[in-house]
Amino acid sequence: MNTNSNAYTVIYTTLVVVVVAAVLAFTAMKLKPSQEANAKAETLRQMMSAAQIKPTDELYATNNAGILQLYADNIDKAYTIGLDGQENGTLSTEKASIELVDNLKPQNKAIKAGGEAVLPVYVFKNGYTVIPVYGAGLWGPVWGYVAFQPDHTTIAGAYFDHESETPGLGAKIKDEAWFREKFIGKTVAFGGETLFNLGKNAEQTGASNTVDAISGATMTSKGLNEALNVWFKAYESHLGNGATACCQDGEEDCEHCEHHKAEEE
Amino acid sequence: MDKKLKETILNPILKGNPITVLILGICSSLAVTVQLKGALVMALSVIVVTGLSSLVCSLLRNTIPMRVRIIVQLVVVAMMVILVDQILKAGEGTYAIDKQLSVYIGLIITNCIVMGRIEAFALGNKPIPSLLDGLANGVGYGLILIIVAFFRELLGSGTLFGLQVLPASYIPNNLVILPPFALILLGCIIWVHRAFDKDLQEK
Repeated sequence: MNTNSNAYTVIYTTLVVVVVAAVLAFTAMKLKPSQEANAKAETLRQMMSAAQIKPTDELYATNNAGILQLYADNIDKAYTIGLDGQENGTLSTEKASIELVDNLKPQNKAIKAGGEAVLPVYVFKNGYTVIPVYGAGLWGPVWGYVAFQPDHTTIAGAYFDHESETPGLGAKIKDEAWFREKFIGKTVAFGGETLFNLGKNAEQTGASNTVDAISGATMTSKGLNEALNVWFKAYESHLGNGATACCQDGEEDCEHCEHHKAEEE
Repeated sequence: MDKKLKETILNPILKGNPITVLILGICSSLAVTVQLKGALVMALSVIVVTGLSSLVCSLLRNTIPMRVRIIVQLVVVAMMVILVDQILKAGEGTYAIDKQLSVYIGLIITNCIVMGRIEAFALGNKPIPSLLDGLANGVGYGLILIIVAFFRELLGSGTLFGLQVLPASYIPNNLVILPPFALILLGCIIWVHRAFDKDLQEK
């Protein structure tokens, strides 16, 4: 047979592509459940690393079943809020049916469009509240989890991850422990003009809502800075200076409370 | 084992080593050799991809239309790479390593060793020798990767496979972790290799 005729070439390449596509589709289907289980455990590791449940190394040395157990043991409650800061759903924390909002991309779009968002809030038994952040790095998405102390303003821990930032440069947001440790003890200026500033020489200003950007990773740092600010803004009415908390406590010198009272009257 | 088959297996590991003699696959050997664990997974992945791609292309060699053979080979290699990536992502123990190796698993497809062996060997030989040639080239590549990673992890972090081996008083050398040191190390390996193998020395 003439293997160089046009008809043969077209039919042959079509066949090869169809067969390869079928093999890949079948494998992807078969492996999906275990890949998703891995991804879920990974998300839980990152959240618990931010919430200081255990050192990051230990979390990464624990297998998936152990991670699910650890999360179920340590989580207090998990719920979702809308952009108005009001609760609009709960997430199951039972080990057998742990629910997460781990696909943050649609939520990021919703925040920017001002539409209906489902923003997760995870409250751990140690009092820390964990929220996600998500944005665009240089090559792909960057995201992370930030844990707040009970005052909802001071950062208790953070963990950042990325899809494909440059190894050795942008990838440092995940690889270098010193980077995420820099966030511990910093505050978010809820109600202020700039909520958080991850930028060049930012720490020199002396403000407590600043972290220095990573040199050589300008775009990744910018992307992460935007992710932090956009998501902190989205959570501002829920966490921000505890609008509900201070009104309940009856603190009179709280501007928020007076603002609220004025509105009510 | 007949002599030709033995040659097929041993040549890519020693005299025709893809990295030190053919100077192929340098990029990934600089990128993934910071730690032994990553290098080992990368080496195994490349062995599987080169072996199976050569086998499949050899089986198809009489039917592939010559004008589109590169495209067909590329499709076969791409399939193997995606399969390896998917399987690594599905394994509980390998998920973290797959994330760490990130783009480099996907970039096996651009590793010249894979296409090079298919073009040079698999298209003209029977399936079994082609499979062995692919595997042996993967081993030759992996061997160098592991030697480089051994020194880089030992001197750069003081550990081997993540276990502390050098005393805590050893201050890790940060240059060793950076890619340029891998190139220096690779140069030294090539130097040693040539010093022992007179056939490789230019007159």
